Amino acid sequence: MADAQTAMTQLKEVYGDSIVELTPLNGTPRLQVKKDAVPQVAHYLHTHPNLLGALSLLWAVDHRPRETRYEILYLFTLAERKDWLLLSTDLHGEDRLFRSITPHIHAAEWYEREIRDLFGLIPIGHPDMRRLVRHEHWPKGSHPLKKDFRWDTVLERVQGQHVFRHIEGEGVFEVAVGPIHAGIIEPGHFRFSVAGEPIMQLEIHHFWKHRGVEKLFERQQLTEAVPLAERVSGDTTVGHSLAYCQAVETLMQVEVPRRARYLRSFFLELERLYNHLGDVGAICNDVAYALAHAHCGRMKEQIMQLHDRLTRSRFLRGVNRVGGVGSDLTNEQLTQTVAELDGIEPDFTELEKIVLADASLADRLETTGVLLERIAWDHSVMGVVGRASGIERDIRRDHPFAAYDELPPKVVLYRYGDVRARMRVRMDEIHESMRLIREIRQRIPQGPIVVQPTGEPAPGTWALSAVEGWRGEILYMVMAGENGGIHRCKVRDPSFVNWPAIQWAVLGNIVPDFPVINKSFNMSYAGNDL
Amino acid sequence: MLRFIMKSLKTGVVTGQHPNAEAPQGPISPEAAKNTKPFRRSLAIREVDTGSCNACEMEMNALANSVYDVERFGVHIVASPRHADALVVTGPVTVNMERALKDVYEQTPDPKIVIALGDCAINCGMFKGSYAVTGPVERHIPVDVRIPGCPPRPVEILTALQKLREGTG
Repeated sequence: MADAQTAMTQLKEVYGDSIVELTPLNGTPRLQVKKDAVPQVAHYLHTHPNLLGALSLLWAVDHRPRETRYEILYLFTLAERKDWLLLSTDLHGEDRLFRSITPHIHAAEWYEREIRDLFGLIPIGHPDMRRLVRHEHWPKGSHPLKKDFRWDTVLERVQGQHVFRHIEGEGVFEVAVGPIHAGIIEPGHFRFSVAGEPIMQLEIHHFWKHRGVEKLFERQQLTEAVPLAERVSGDTTVGHSLAYCQAVETLMQVEVPRRARYLRSFFLELERLYNHLGDVGAICNDVAYALAHAHCGRMKEQIMQLHDRLTRSRFLRGVNRVGGVGSDLTNEQLTQTVAELDGIEPDFTELEKIVLADASLADRLETTGVLLERIAWDHSVMGVVGRASGIERDIRRDHPFAAYDELPPKVVLYRYGDVRARMRVRMDEIHESMRLIREIRQRIPQGPIVVQPTGEPAPGTWALSAVEGWRGEILYMVMAGENGGIHRCKVRDPSFVNWPAIQWAVLGNIVPDFPVINKSFNMSYAGNDL
Repeated sequence: MLRFIMKSLKTGVVTGQHPNAEAPQGPISPEAAKNTKPFRRSLAIREVDTGSCNACEMEMNALANSVYDVERFGVHIVASPRHADALVVTGPVTVNMERALKDVYEQTPDPKIVIALGDCAINCGMFKGSYAVTGPVERHIPVDVRIPGCPPRPVEILTALQKLREGTG
């Protein structure tokens, strides 16, 4: 298996005429590929047994007004050492066409449709050219991330209707769910084709919550956009703000103090803890096991109240800032936190035993909503969902950030890929997070918690950052604009990648099991729709 | 089964174990007091998210946990607007959700009230002016009660609902 350097050499040997090596971006090798060769190069990188690159991010940049060109960039994670490799290709002048890699790489499907909607660039050869982000009532030619599209444009409403994929045949009918659902959850539309009870096809129609987050970033200053990042997905406040801050810090060459890095890990693990606790309960609740829900809800609330006492915010808002963290914790507060967790852990372990020993619960959760490892890999699925399907990826270990270079986490891995595996990943990670928090309390160094960033990065320079949030890999690409502004900020919540995988996990399951399957994925709609 | 019962006995009652509300809730208007009169003993709520960051949803969900247990006040969350007395709307109303919000409002039987929950619902918050946002909520449907906060804490929502119950300002 190859690391990024040998992968690059190998690609250059095979496709020497079509690729040019660029200067690496903060250690990540970059290759510029001729537009027409992109599908072949990507396919080779994705399937060659030495490389097995998984597509991690695909995004576009409109370089106007500095240059009249669009750039499309592909970030791959190589199989063995999880090294990153960047491919890019340019569209010059009035060129609006690029070659789709979706026929070779499933994971590119939504990304390319997103680029088409937001930039008006056409992925030639894409098997599904329907709109994704812009619903059909948006007027033609409205592509919000183009630089000549004003951020406050008032969109007129035109006629148009989404066309779903249909399955036809005797006894086949469709069940439409959403956008507004029965519980207190976010809006999204699910269209099931069923014959009797089993699901034959599910189509997810999302982006009801599209708020224009990426365009709003472009109106902000680099050092001041943290509150917006915190509101990309409220339940991942720390994950998103941390990923944003790290990207800007790389860009501005800020060295974050050690103590701040420990505090960032501390808060990130607290965020993982309360969300996982809530999810374990919610999964049980969706198969009418209310007891676990009540207990988990109580423990989750306990942690959120702790957050409120520590940071004046139940969601840990205001914790991260560019250059470090916003407020320090006293030794007493750290000790109190650990004491609180010492109370919750045996409480949770007791519940865990009850839940795992329950035969009726196992009956509902085992073999339900199986996501096969092969399908998970094809779609670049990661995070909790991936680790329940045998995809061993964890940014905390693979690309250590914050204090994880000194606090390597144990990566939890299950292979069954069913609802129960996803629940067990969460259960194990709850214990692991508690262990990490205890370790942070013991090892946290004294010192400053923030450095003031100085200077302005040159317009057009950019940086990537990755954080293992509680759902999975959160990726940010931040490109500096004029006068300390933001030219482009690509936000990628793990939900955007994992949502399409549900369409496969539900096949053959009965419709009444959909809620629990969906809950076991527990994807963010806000983070997906942006 | 024994473990199950022991766990519950050991845990005891946790309801009410939360700090008190700090942020003062503005007085409810006389019209809102009048509109909520039919629902003072029992209020069926349908929550509608029009593009929030999902923090408001989490706090609404928290209301139903055993610590806040909103049902003890006769407030319950229902699964359909047709069962609802009140719509709790969160989010700045995105372009894509505008039609759905109006539909839900129309399908909620009269008499009804609308509660705008969180800063986004009240004034679009950080998303004000975006091409993808057409809110705030009151631009599209009449709003009776506003509960500010980003997001409001569950106890603050609870206090606001209590005020409605009592019909006082």
